[in-house]
Amino acid sequence: MPIIEMKKVFLLGHRQERDKIFNLLHNLGSVEMVDVKSGEAWDEFQALLEPDQPPENISQIDTTRSDIRYCLDFFQRYFPVKKTFIQQFTGGKLELSEDQFTEYIESLHRADEIYGSCRQVEDKLARIRNEITQANNLIAELEPWESLDLPLELVKDGSYAVMGLYTVPRDNALELQESLAENVSNYYLKEVTFDNEFMYFFYAGLSEERAAQADVFKENAVTEVNFSQLSGSPAENIASLHKQLDDLEEERASILREIESLLEHRPMLMACYDYIDNEYKKHDAVSNLARTENSFLLEGWVPAPVLKDLENTVDEKTETAVLTSRDPGEKENVPVLLHNRGPAEAYEVVTKLFSTPQRREVDPTPFMAPFFFIFFGICLGDAGYGILLGLLAVYFTRQLRIGESGKQLLKLLLLGGISSIIFGILFGGYFGDLIKLPPLWFDPLDQPMQMLYYCFAIGLVHIYFGMGVQAYRNIKAGKPLSALFDQGFWFIFLNGLILLLLPGFETAAQWIAIGGGAGLVLTQGRSQSGLVLKFLSGLLSLYNITGYLSDVLSYSRLLALGLATGVIAVAINSMGEMVGGGVVGTVILSIILLGGHSFNIIISALSSYVHTSRLQYVEFFGKFFEGGGKPFKPFGKSASYVDVIKPEEG
Amino acid sequence: MTGTEIALIGAALAVGLAGIGSAIGVGIVGQSAAGLVTEDPDKFGQTLLLQALPGTQGIYGLLAGFLIMQEVGVIGDAPMLVLESAQGYAFLMASIPIAIVGLVSGIYQGRVSGAAVGLVAKRPEELGKGIVYAVMVETYAVLALLATILLLFGIDVNG
Repeated sequence: MPIIEMKKVFLLGHRQERDKIFNLLHNLGSVEMVDVKSGEAWDEFQALLEPDQPPENISQIDTTRSDIRYCLDFFQRYFPVKKTFIQQFTGGKLELSEDQFTEYIESLHRADEIYGSCRQVEDKLARIRNEITQANNLIAELEPWESLDLPLELVKDGSYAVMGLYTVPRDNALELQESLAENVSNYYLKEVTFDNEFMYFFYAGLSEERAAQADVFKENAVTEVNFSQLSGSPAENIASLHKQLDDLEEERASILREIESLLEHRPMLMACYDYIDNEYKKHDAVSNLARTENSFLLEGWVPAPVLKDLENTVDEKTETAVLTSRDPGEKENVPVLLHNRGPAEAYEVVTKLFSTPQRREVDPTPFMAPFFFIFFGICLGDAGYGILLGLLAVYFTRQLRIGESGKQLLKLLLLGGISSIIFGILFGGYFGDLIKLPPLWFDPLDQPMQMLYYCFAIGLVHIYFGMGVQAYRNIKAGKPLSALFDQGFWFIFLNGLILLLLPGFETAAQWIAIGGGAGLVLTQGRSQSGLVLKFLSGLLSLYNITGYLSDVLSYSRLLALGLATGVIAVAINSMGEMVGGGVVGTVILSIILLGGHSFNIIISALSSYVHTSRLQYVEFFGKFFEGGGKPFKPFGKSASYVDVIKPEEG
Repeated sequence: MTGTEIALIGAALAVGLAGIGSAIGVGIVGQSAAGLVTEDPDKFGQTLLLQALPGTQGIYGLLAGFLIMQEVGVIGDAPMLVLESAQGYAFLMASIPIAIVGLVSGIYQGRVSGAAVGLVAKRPEELGKGIVYAVMVETYAVLALLATILLLFGIDVNG
């Protein structure tokens, strides 16, 4: 049975042993904790128990965790850890030996101090950024006045005269000068510069005429520019600001060096983060428990096969804890853990991508596995590509440290490689036509129609198989009539229609199809009320034949993708042939062949994978699989930054 | 126009229109992917995978064009054929499915993949589902390619 049976466990222990038991469960990683308060029995327990609270130091731990996270994010911002293309898919964690990890954890107390330094450095950087912005803004403001050769501290009102720097929109400039000449008797106006929008000017006049001047200015939307805090000419100010900017840049560089010197702590912080994150989760999990004065109660799910181990460990390692277990109840939301043996295991990743099965459902993985294997091979269909794909998968499995589903995916690609070697030999594809060997069976390029019929045939088998699984489910659920009506009659009807196409079977086929069709018309409306409605919806159900037809036609993609791989490979080879001989020709030829075939392998393997998956999801799963189960997530170690390598793993 | 020239128009349409579809589709995904990567450079690999998906239409178009060129004898060892104009039109018609469906499905697949970039931004573990959505669109390009290939194989160039 590929879906593993789960047991509900209850663990009762003394409060003093709680942390010890938590550490034990955390290391085992085989229990998914459930909130006791959400269980059915909580109403009864409530009189005796109260919900447990996380210990008080959890907020302390949370702070440390977010402090370390802050430092790591800070480092990442200025000195990012670059991940290679492959690591972006695999995670690319820091690899540490166990000793190193312990050593790093021992310096956890230093995290506070590093956090302090990071904060300080960040504050300094923020200040510098601010000052740079201010200086740049001031330079921008001063630039129009650069040609004004007048110390700015002298531009101020005196007892008899007023003066200042102003801007006026270009369109109003002429009007302003006319209006001033009309309304103000004594004044001096000097244009400093123009830009697209404004005229910049210096103005001096008499104090007694200030009111008249102000009116004119207001009418023409003149704005005063104030540099009262500055002394010296604009040009001098700009020069000194540029110098200030240089100094700030230098200071920034020295602060970046400061960060660089803090970087040596990064591995330590990464290790500490993973450690403290797990500590936090351990503490946080306490809120799932219920307690009395001196004891605690834990509820959770354990996969049945490891229950014995768990019982033994709890017995051996603790003094007070008692573990009881029972089978899951009817209505309980049991988590689902898949376990397939042998090659089928690789295809779990395909199922999980769709959905985790429900608890009482069959795991579709083993049913799908052989079809996935065959379809992938037909789509890629080249022995040379198969060998390369298989070798790559083996190489990456050896080289990369990746999680469970990554390993499954690589195994799936290895199997896909093997399958495409088989079909490559059958159909005579070896890097397209690079190596000219006759096909063992036939060449789909020569006989595409024949290949198309085979694709439909294998698709039909796939669909019938899906219907068969659903019929089996119906029978097992105690509904043998549903199996007969919903799957059996369709099976008869479809086969009758197919036989009609074959010469010599016409009469028999006719009656088979009519029999099956009549069965469908009579039974498919059985959930409706009233004879007329029953009959009509039964008749309407025959329309589903279009669904089956399009399902079968969908398998033509196997032919199309297989041809695409082959024809592109041939195209690459003939492009290579067009290049002349000689040394240069040979070099260009190898570049074309190497680059072209690598490209084709990647694109074709990707298409093969996704289209094969689609045939499973839409055409196959649609017949019997619902999904929507809750995957099993045990309470255990998790890692964001580091991978601790146990000695025996090498 | 000779039949051979009409046949080559077919090749040009298949490569050109399907290529336009892919170019637009890949462009759409690239824009949203670049936006995501400014925030999270580690998503480059995943988004590149999504960007590659609408690129297949262009390949299918090239494939159809290549098959026409080979049958007509523009490339390969065989001498160039002189076709009747009816035969030329047959090649042109055969190229139509992948040309048109490649153009439109490339664009729409690009939109779906572009949306999948948003999916990967929030839930990187769900990359697979985003790919599946995009592939639902590609189905029709595959079917069109199949129609084109079957049509091409059905044309009798010697008769």
